[in-house]
Amino acid sequence: MLQTFLDPLGSRILGALDQAGDFAVLSGRTFRAVFRRPFDGENLMRQFLAVGVNSVPVVVLTSLAVSAVFAVQLAFGFKQFQAEGLASQVEGLAVVRELAPVITGLMLAGRVGSAMAAELGTMQVTEQIDALECLATDPIHYLFVPRLLAAALMVPLLTGLSIYVGYWGGYLLLVGAEGQSAVVYQSEFYKLLAFKDVRIALTKALVFGLIIALVGCWRGYRTRGGAEGVGNAPTSSVVTSSLWILIADFFLTKLLLV
Amino acid sequence: MTVPLIDVVNVSKAFGPKVVLSDVNLSVEEGESLVVLGGSGTGKTVLLRTIMGLLTPDQGHISVEGKIIHQLSWQELFEVRKHIGMCFQMAALFDSMTVFENVAFSLRRHTTMTSAEIQFRVEECLGLVGMKGTDQLKPAELSGGMKRRVGFARAIALKPKILLFDEPTTGLDPVMTDVIGRVILDLKHELGVTTITITHDLKSAFEIADRIALLFRGEVIACEKPEAFKVNPNAVVQQFLRGDADGPFLLDPPPPKRSQSTVSHSPLNV
Ligand SMILES: Nc1ncnc2c1ncn2[C@@H]1O[C@H](COP(=O)(O)OP(=O)(O)O)[C@@H](O)[C@H]1O
Ligand SMILES: [Mg+2]
Repeated sequence: MLQTFLDPLGSRILGALDQAGDFAVLSGRTFRAVFRRPFDGENLMRQFLAVGVNSVPVVVLTSLAVSAVFAVQLAFGFKQFQAEGLASQVEGLAVVRELAPVITGLMLAGRVGSAMAAELGTMQVTEQIDALECLATDPIHYLFVPRLLAAALMVPLLTGLSIYVGYWGGYLLLVGAEGQSAVVYQSEFYKLLAFKDVRIALTKALVFGLIIALVGCWRGYRTRGGAEGVGNAPTSSVVTSSLWILIADFFLTKLLLV
Repeated sequence: MTVPLIDVVNVSKAFGPKVVLSDVNLSVEEGESLVVLGGSGTGKTVLLRTIMGLLTPDQGHISVEGKIIHQLSWQELFEVRKHIGMCFQMAALFDSMTVFENVAFSLRRHTTMTSAEIQFRVEECLGLVGMKGTDQLKPAELSGGMKRRVGFARAIALKPKILLFDEPTTGLDPVMTDVIGRVILDLKHELGVTTITITHDLKSAFEIADRIALLFRGEVIACEKPEAFKVNPNAVVQQFLRGDADGPFLLDPPPPKRSQSTVSHSPLNV
């Protein structure tokens, strides 16, 4: 009785450890491959374009929407205490420290991480990854590294963009709709912030970028079983990387704020 | 006696409980063409993938140019692979790249050739497989036989010493099958390479082969010169050569053939 319960649980745990180990090994190989020759600039530029430039519209729209909606709630909340002036300060804090990096991370996990998983998954089941190996090319070096570099650079840049857009989202609402003074908003937005906060935001974004690229590539690389496998790879990559983004966000917030 | 270029020694490979190769021994001398025959699912692809080092044997070893494949470091393995051209069953072309970029791939990565030299070499390779003038097409625009030939061109770009062909003619019409057979013969003569070819097509097998091996339930049951293979007394070999469903070849033999008279509703009799 107890065994019928414990056996599947045990194999579940072993399976999860197996996956974690596999992910760790591949990640280690990716980091080691970063400085290996030959350097493929063309491939890297293509990834910069796919990860960075093409994600600009999505990041702008979501950042604008989330920062504006957040400002609505802040304005409403602080109005209960006749403290409307605090809304812009808290808006600044929230946008820089949390909303911009997390929204950018989650949107890119959906837009970029899933595309990586689907592309590598298709290459895996059509033997293109084996073909790479047979042409004496390490798939980790050729496929993982440019995606990792692109995400590690582009997610922080897009987070910067998201902060900028978030500033104007709050402005739109608090100045435009709530009628607060534009001059006051401009100085209050930064009141609770220090340079440290920008560093925190960019550090988070860097970690999120690494998670997105590594999980996306890993899920794609480990795809098995034809069309169904290729269908599952992006889904599981988005779920896994979103989860890890949120978990990492919690710990980074706790650690970096000390 | 010379050391064989490719030596497969007592190789066994299983996936879970399923034994695919058991105690396979094969050796290929330099310049020789070996054809491996065998039914579907008998582990022919697994054999080639083990030779390439994509799979590790459970037992035994494979040596290429005297180096034991599964004991090499990554770097050494890649050096060996530069001397081997692998032609996949479904071609496995990089579908985001044009034909030109596919063939130029290893030249760009592993040589210091200028782009003019690469251009020249790619055209030379495409010419050898009869695919000149397709260099700007994408793989999706090619037919099955054309894809395979571009795959050949990609495999020979680095001038390998060894070429491995995995079912190069399966799924093609008889004419294209003959074209591919001829391309392989041409490559063999022009490049003087050592080849292992997996095929079901007996006609091209006898044209290409210096020796023929038959893989049956994970074992090599015959490996000899084509003339000797033709008269091999083994019932499995003879059944394979006849292409007959009756015999020891299949584990679960099909129902016996209907004789013509028992077909009561034949549309021809109406
Ligand atoms: N990576 C793998 N995992 C599990 N089983 C495999 C794998 N590759 C091949 N097999 C099994 O090995 C057997 C032989 O496959 P294969 O070598 O592709 O046959 P063929 O002779 O038709 O090329 C098949 O039954 C297949 O199920
Ligand atoms: Mg096969």
